[in-house]
Formats: sequence, C-alpha cells, structure tokens
Amino acid sequence: MKIVAVTACPTGIAHTYMAAEQLEKTARRLGHAIRVETQGSMGIEDRLEAADIRDADAVIFAADIAVQDGERFAGKRIVETSVQEAIKHPEALFARLANKGRP
Amino acid sequence: MTGIDFAFPLANGLHARPASLLRDACRPFKATVLLRNQRSRRSADAASVLELVASATLHNDPCRLEIAGPQEREAVDALRAFLEHDLPRADDGAPPAPPVAAPERASWLPPVFLSGGGTLRRGRALAAGSGRARAARVGRSRLLPERPVAGIRDAKKELELFRRACRRLEAELRDEIAPLRDAIAAGILKAHLEIVRDPGFREMIAALIADKKRPAGRAIREAAAHFAGILRRAPSAYLQERAGDIEDIAARLGEKLAGPAPRQAPPLGRGPRVPRGPLVAVAASLSPSALLALDRRRLRGLILGPVGFTSHAAILARSLAIPAVSLPPAELAGIPDGAEVIVDGRRGLAVVSPGAELKRYYRLEQQAAEMRRQRLACLNRRPAATHDKVRVEIAANIAAPAELDSAWRNGAEGVGLFRSEFLFLGREAPPGEEEQHAAYSLAARSAGERRIIFRTLDIGGDKPLPFLGLPREENPFLGCRAVRFYSGHADLIRCQLRALLRATARSGCLRVMVPMVTVVEEVRLARRLLSEAVSELRARKAAVPGRIELGIMVETPAAALAIDSLAREAAFFSVGSNDLLQYTMAVDRGNAALAGLYDPLHPAFLRLLQQAATQARQAKRWLGICGEMAGDSELLPLLAGIGFDELSMVPALVPAVRERLAQLDGSECRALLRRALKAEDAAATRALLRKFNGRGGGAGVVAAELVRLGSNSRTPSEAIKELCSLLELEGRVGDAALLEEAVWKREETYATDLGLGFALPHGKSDTVRSASVAFLRPARPMRWSGKGPPGVRGVLLIAVPAAARGEEHLRLIARLSRQLMHEDFRAALLAAGDAAVVVSLINGCLRSNK
Repeated sequence: MKIVAVTACPTGIAHTYMAAEQLEKTARRLGHAIRVETQGSMGIEDRLEAADIRDADAVIFAADIAVQDGERFAGKRIVETSVQEAIKHPEALFARLANKGRP
Repeated sequence: MTGIDFAFPLANGLHARPASLLRDACRPFKATVLLRNQRSRRSADAASVLELVASATLHNDPCRLEIAGPQEREAVDALRAFLEHDLPRADDGAPPAPPVAAPERASWLPPVFLSGGGTLRRGRALAAGSGRARAARVGRSRLLPERPVAGIRDAKKELELFRRACRRLEAELRDEIAPLRDAIAAGILKAHLEIVRDPGFREMIAALIADKKRPAGRAIREAAAHFAGILRRAPSAYLQERAGDIEDIAARLGEKLAGPAPRQAPPLGRGPRVPRGPLVAVAASLSPSALLALDRRRLRGLILGPVGFTSHAAILARSLAIPAVSLPPAELAGIPDGAEVIVDGRRGLAVVSPGAELKRYYRLEQQAAEMRRQRLACLNRRPAATHDKVRVEIAANIAAPAELDSAWRNGAEGVGLFRSEFLFLGREAPPGEEEQHAAYSLAARSAGERRIIFRTLDIGGDKPLPFLGLPREENPFLGCRAVRFYSGHADLIRCQLRALLRATARSGCLRVMVPMVTVVEEVRLARRLLSEAVSELRARKAAVPGRIELGIMVETPAAALAIDSLAREAAFFSVGSNDLLQYTMAVDRGNAALAGLYDPLHPAFLRLLQQAATQARQAKRWLGICGEMAGDSELLPLLAGIGFDELSMVPALVPAVRERLAQLDGSECRALLRRALKAEDAAATRALLRKFNGRGGGAGVVAAELVRLGSNSRTPSEAIKELCSLLELEGRVGDAALLEEAVWKREETYATDLGLGFALPHGKSDTVRSASVAFLRPARPMRWSGKGPPGVRGVLLIAVPAAARGEEHLRLIARLSRQLMHEDFRAALLAAGDAAVVVSLINGCLRSNK
C-alpha cells in the first residue's frame, strides 16, 4: 500500500516525531510505502504535496490536535487515531487500515 | 507666612523615608513648617515624621507647605529647591521600594500535594524557602497596665513616668540595633526609634496627660490609636501596615512605664511550655521586636495571620531568610500547637502533619536549594570570569558602611563605588575629619585586601546641602554639581581626602574617584587637592598610604570621548552609566513621558561605551562601570563584549550576575556587540540580545551534569522535581518550579510513559533559557501512570523555551524523540555505565542524519 500520514501532538516537542518514526518503522516492516508529515515545534515538515495525497491508498492522522490544512485530504479515506495509539500500538493501526481498505 | 503649592510627586506616597527627608530639610531654619494636604484635609507639623506620614498623602495629592518664622525667606528658598529636586527622587535607588509586588497565590500545585498526605492550609507567601518542625504559638499579649481611668492628681509625676519610659525604650532599641548586621532590619528598628522620638507623638501624649489628666499608659494608648487610626484609613496598603509599628511602640512604652522589669524571655527561649528542638513559630501577628527576639538557630519558619507582604514582619523575614507565610484566621486556627508542620514560603501554604511522600518531596526541594547555594558559594570562591576565562571583576555599590556585609555575603569581589554622601546629607554642618575617618576606616577594614573605590562628595545644585550655601540654579543637572563646586569648597574636599588617606594608610592603598568630570582641568584640581591633603598630613606626621590612585567617573559624553587625554591625569575610570545615559540621550530619567529614550541599549550609547573602552585599553587604564546597567544580567553579554574590567552593582544583584557571567563566552559576546553596534535602534539591539540570551550562550542540549544514574526518586513527582532542579542548577532554567508546572500540565493531557520502559516528560515555558534534555535512571523501576507493575527505568525530561520555534535545538530534540523509538538506542541508554556515555549517546543520535 501507499500510505501518507500526519502526526501532531499538543506541545509538538516529542510525540509528533516519535509517532512519525514509529509509523515509518512499522510500515517498512510490513512492506508498505509511507510518507509522514510532522506538524510540531519545527512547524510543518516533510509536507505532503497534492501528488503524494492523490497517489495514496490510505491516510493516517495520528493527532491530538486539529490537523493543519486538512482540506488537502478531502475525499480520501482517513484513519484517525491519537499520537499515543500510534506510538504504542502501531500494528493494530495498520490492521485497521487494511480492513478499511477492503471494499 | 509663605505658602508653596505642589502636587505630591512620589508614587508610594509620603511614607517614612521622604517624610524624614522633608523634616531634615526644614530643620536648619528657625521657622515652623506646616504641610496641608488639600485632598485628605489633614495638616502636619513638618517637624514630626509621624504627623507627616499620618497626613495620608498620596501620589499627586494637592498639597501646600506653609512656612512662617524669623528665617522664613531662607526656609522658603531651601524648601522650593527640595520640592523640585530632592523630593521627586527620594525613592530613587532606595533599597526595596515598599510596594514590592506580592507573589500571586499559587493556584497550581504538583500532584504530590493531593497524594502526599497531610492537611493543606493555604494563604500567601511572605518570605521564600521552606522549613519543617513542630508548630509553637508565640507572641506576647502586651496589654498596657490598666490604671484608674478617672483623672489623675499628679500630672507631673505621670509626665515624668512617660519620659522615663521613652528614655528606656530608646536605650533598648539602640541595644537591639547595634548587633544587627542587616541594613534592612536595622532600618526598621531605626524607624521605631524615630517614632519614640517624634515630637508630634510626644506632644500629643504630654497634652493628654497635662490637659486631660490622663494616666500616662492611657495617654500613650490614645495617641497611638489616633495615629494608627489615621494610617489604617489611609488608602495605601503600605501606610495601613505602618499602623502596627505605632501600636508596637505604644505597647513597649506601656511595658516600660511599669518599671525596669527585665525583658521577657524570648518566646522561643527557655519557657517551661516551649518544646525543645527546631520550631515553626505561629502567631496572628508579630512585631519586629518580637520577631528579632526569637531564637533563630531553632526557628525553621513563620506562620502568621493576615499580615501584608510589606509588613515589617514580612520584610524582616525576607531579610533574615526565614521562610514565612500568611494564613487567613480560619486557616491559622487549624494549626494545632505541637503538630508537625511544613511552612512553604514560595507557594504560600502550610501543611499540617505531612505524609512521608510529601516530606520526601520537600527534602528534595531543600536539597536542590542547598546545592544551588553551594554552587553559588563555589562560584564565589573563584574570581568572576566568563566561561572561557575572561576575567571581569564583580563589585558592589555601597551607600553606607552597613551594606558592606551584605556585599561580601553576596559574593562581591570589591567595592566599585563607595558613596560618601550618607555622611553629609540631612545635617546642618559638614562632618569633621574624625567622623569621616571613622566611617571610612570601618569600610577599609571591612574590605581588607579587596579593592575599594571611594568617591568624593557628589553633591551640588541638584542635591543642595544647607551648609554649602550654593546658589539656586535654573538647571541644576547642567549646573554646579559634583567636582564643579570643589574649587569653591577646597577645604571641605581636602578634609574628606585627609580622612580617606588616613583611613587607608594601614591597607597601603587609596583608590579615590572624582564624580562628574568634564575636562582635564577638573582632574588636575582634584590632584592638587589630593597632594595638598597629603602634605597637610605629612606636616602632622600622620601616616598616608604608600599607593594613591586618583580615578574619575565617566558621566559626561565629553569625558567618555576624551579618555585618552584624561588618562594622563587619571589612573582609572568608572562609567556612571545613569548620568552618562541622561546626558547622551538628553533626557531626564525621572521623566516618565520620555522613558523610552532613557534606554542603555540605544546603539549610540553602546558606541560611546565601546569607544571609551577602546581608548581606556589603548591608554592601559582600568575601566569599570557602576551604573544601574552594570547589574542587569540580561545586558551582561554586551558589557562583557565591550570589555569592562569591573562591573559594580547593588549587592543583591551580585550572585545573578556572577552566575550569568560564568555561562558566557567572551568571543561570542564580542561578536554580539559588533552586531549591536550596527543596530538601528534600541529595539533592534534588544531583539539581538534576546535571541542571544535565548540560545543559552552556545551550550549543547545535554551535558553530563544533567544526567543522574541510580537516582533515589521513587515517583514521577520526585523524578520530575529532581530533573527540573538539575536544569535550574545548571542555569538552563530560571525557576525550576515553573518548568515543573509546565511539565505536569502537559502530563495531565496524557502521561508520557510509552510502555517501552521510558517516560518522556516535557514542557515549554518562558523560564527555560535554552532548550535542554535531562536524563535520570531510577535505582528501581517506577510506576509512571496507570496500575500496572512499575516499569519505567529511564526518564528523559525535555525543556523548551516558550518562544522557541524552528530552532536548531528543537530539531535535535525531534531527532532524539525519533531515536527513542528504536530498541537498541533505549537499551544503550539503560545500560550506559556513566553520565559521559549517556551524553555521547544522545549527542551521537543528534549528529546522525535522521
């Protein structure tokens, strides 16, 4: 699968980046391609471009606060979860993604 | 009779200090002076400080001075000058201005206060610090001895009783003042002495006895009630609290009426009911004398009733570093005598019968405070210098010998400015050579080997002394002040110089500087006076020091721009930045409407300082600075960049400046200065400075000092407290408690343990100076949140400045957070044998690309 994800936590200091790393690590292990945009203390980094979003099979929002520029993802299937969940139970998250992906 | 109308100029109103200045200004003349306040409709005899204070005069009140008597004309002239020039500045540089902002009631408390055991009694903070001991109620009910209220037969005898009581109390107060090492504490008792001597107070009591046939005790009580009542109704909290002083005096006078009974044993002394060992004193209120009578070796804290932050008990507690809180009456009643109690003078609360967890928490807090004290003490043992060993002497400005102790206690390495005006102000004739010699000798002895720079008399049209008879000037700040009046008063200055030479003969070196020099002729004049003073002493066969250095204060742009030529006559220079800034920016620093111009960060002013420093270096002359900006830690990087040899400031600011200096890097400060000199305006300089200060002077995010392996912390409360304290200790955080609060507020959204054996508490706050990481490994795994088995074996705390966004340090912390998701990195952190390995692990992952 091609996956894009956005991570964002309240202070933007640590969990945003931990979740990003966890998603990337887990995706690699499960054989998915993933691009993760972080919305944290450094501002928006690795910003997802229209093409990335268009080509993606699934979108993950791992966020405890509102995702900025969320309208970019209009019409996409979005799996939403908390940053904590993404860090603690990434496999479960990817399983949800796979289930949602089936018609 | 002549009247002078004016609006009262001081923000704090007519309190004791300006009142005694006004009284002193009236004293030399044979004239009666009456102050009429048209708002409060009170009038006061200017000879009575108490009546003046009781006139309840506030800022901008319409007032009138009425002057009558044989020397009316002279008094009117002097008082006009006083109202115009002295009174508006009466509170300038006064050590702690009365309305010190009381700390806000702490609304947030760490979670340990809920779980840690004990009963919380909340109130207000009076004096910082915490202490734990048994509660002991103190205070004496000093009721005045009752005597028949009906008229008395022998008014003469009652008057004599009253006068004797006054004499006894004066003697007792003098005995109490003599051993005090603390200028603030002594000042409070001196104010009490003034009340006992106050003519308004005494006359009222005498009249009550003589005319109304009141017994002395009752007359004292009525007069005290009269003045205290007026003060209580005054619309200023500061004046309201002074009512207690009068009542304290009245009660003590009442005791003295009864006869020469010995002083009561100190409440924490040898009384039969008072338990042994350390105590926390509990009292609804405590008079200064009662507080000073407490045995301080056993006193761990004070719990008082609803007394104000500016009450004398609070001022004394702060000055003597006794933790103190004020509780509402209902809460105070909830402190049982003999119960174990914690006084928390920072959060403004007391804990009765605290549980073990809370005691551990406070112990941690005290250990952190103790470590901080030790670190400062350790810093004070070394010569003050930047991180890269650029030496900058940190000295104190002293206005009276009583302040010397506080200077040494605070870690001053010398005295950069010893003001001599205290000897000359408020009197009718100048002090003689012997009196001056005694005062300067005291200072020279106290300084010992340390450098002490005496300044000759800095007085003139702006600070008129009655005995100088200087003419009034239209514009005294541009007139005959300081060195400019020396030529007309050579005797006065030679007398001062003789006293200084004699006082320093034993130490072998006199450093004396002349204020307000503009041209080289003035230095030559001072040099001539100095050599005449030396010859006079030699003729008397009196000893003079072997080394005599004559320096000047750089307070005029003319002097600052001509250091090279002045250096031919002057051995050293000290910048008086307050006046130099006024004269450079052409602005009166008292003028609130132009406060924006009075800004030392203006690039023009910095250029002037820098040019002066360059010239001083080329001329191989020592250059200090003793204005207010010298004590501002925020400006320190610029001053270090300019390259002053010495910074001199009020003693209380010395520790913070020494600490900040040790964090700075000299070459970085010089680079900062180069940018600041090119800035467009003060705002641009300020922005540069803020950015520089926010960077933490080039330190990395982590250091071995920020790592604790095998910590005794057992709970998240303790771990967070320990790490925040470490960050404060290392100067990365201004106030550990504020960071602690930010971290806990973050923790409350969801706990930061990851289920991976690590917790990652973090917080953003203004109190964080540079983004930092601190690491702790508890001796035993701890439970962070939830119910499961204790599983947290590593705690990594991240502190970030509130304003930080998109900075390099944040990028590093983002990388570190990512690394923590990797098993091998976590395992390495948990296995690291020492702090250095932890630091290199963290730095290693920060250097890696992702």
